[in-house]
Amino acid sequence: MSIMELNGGSVVAMVGKNCVAIASDMRLGNQALTVATNFEKIFPVTERIYLGMAGLATDVATLRERFRFRVNMYTIKEEREIEPETFAHLVSSTLYERRFGPYFIEPVVAGLTSPSKGSQPFIAAADVIGCLNFAKDFVVCGTASPELFGIAEGLWEPDLEPEELFETISQTLMNAIDRDAFSGWGAVVHVITPEKVITRTLKGRMD
Amino acid sequence: MARRYDSRTTIFSPEGRLYQIEYAMEAISHAGTVLGILAKDGVVLAAEKRVTGKLLDLSGAKEGGYGGSGEKIFLLNSNVIGGVAGLTADANSLVNYARTAAQRHLFSYNEDIPVEQLAQRLCDMKQGYTQYGGLRPFGVSLLYAGYDVHHQFQLYHSDPSGNYSGWKATCIGANNGTAQSLLKQEYKDEITVAEAVGLAVRVMGKTMDSTTLGSEKLEFAVLTLDANTKQPHAKIYKPAEVDALLSEQGLAKKEEDTEMKTA
Repeated sequence: MSIMELNGGSVVAMVGKNCVAIASDMRLGNQALTVATNFEKIFPVTERIYLGMAGLATDVATLRERFRFRVNMYTIKEEREIEPETFAHLVSSTLYERRFGPYFIEPVVAGLTSPSKGSQPFIAAADVIGCLNFAKDFVVCGTASPELFGIAEGLWEPDLEPEELFETISQTLMNAIDRDAFSGWGAVVHVITPEKVITRTLKGRMD
Repeated sequence: MARRYDSRTTIFSPEGRLYQIEYAMEAISHAGTVLGILAKDGVVLAAEKRVTGKLLDLSGAKEGGYGGSGEKIFLLNSNVIGGVAGLTADANSLVNYARTAAQRHLFSYNEDIPVEQLAQRLCDMKQGYTQYGGLRPFGVSLLYAGYDVHHQFQLYHSDPSGNYSGWKATCIGANNGTAQSLLKQEYKDEITVAEAVGLAVRVMGKTMDSTTLGSEKLEFAVLTLDANTKQPHAKIYKPAEVDALLSEQGLAKKEEDTEMKTA
């Protein structure tokens, strides 16, 4: 068993037309035993940027707090909100700091650039030591990532409106986590548009 | 006579004084005034800017996310605003330290740092510079205006010696004696934020070097509690908002050239 499979969990993010969506399951396990069904893996960084992390749960929690620290310092000093691409690089450098004793998480960043930069959709993912992947379509991570890759490749198409994007990302996640023993027990989907963020909780196979 | 005991901050004089600390406070007495007033529903900070002039590039300050802070008044954390008087470079270093200390507390305890603890962190550091290392003390006095759930609204003052105390109203920098006596006369215990704002502006008007008040010379900030979320809300006024406030109080000034002075 690998350390990345101890707690289980998966995250996926997709780009739509002037919107992005990010979704994750809610399971927290200890190998085969399910310990919690309300473990959120996606956190708001700013109003327009969300960060999802799959992998070892203690690192998910710790990194969430470390990024809050660094983003607060950034915001106070720069007197403006951080941009998604800048935040992705912050994630990358934070992980690389621990190159030889890494945090066991795979992060996914989803957001919109600031209004002055056109509210452009942005997604990115990284590996455990911070190698960034700037995809134009979708990014996946977690124990169900092989399944997520396959389904997303089949269902995703460019320029989906927020409601369509919600359906696409939900179907991708729900069917992928059904095929994975370590992910599941409900899901959360955030759709980020320039006006607002819509958060929906999904109930699927609770096993 | 004092000369022999000046060179090292870590040495007492025969009269039992630490001259370096006193010289640091002397530097602060030449800096722009900062005053703070504690109200029952908030805290008010007002400061006189000394670095002014036509050639100063303030374009960033106009649209800045937290409003024209930069020379005297700084956001330290979502629940604390700091006002500085003294050597600007030393002040920037201390503000950075305070911001990091507040985030470290948030990281460890997942809650906003209590205002007094933030003052203590800075004071512990400042005291270190008076006892070991052979380095000079920070030539900065700070006012901390903050809110926490434990003691609600608070106002603290710390100086280069590393000492701090809590105040209902106080003043640091140039003319602080005058301002302090004015505050003593006019301060009342159950003052509201609106009344405190008016009092702050009036006292600044009487103690500042320039004869009329304007946004190039005045920095202003207020910390209150948001009625809905019950969270502290820090507002550092943008230059346009300072001018609007002064008009409201009937103390607006006309356009005129100002000379640049060092803080």
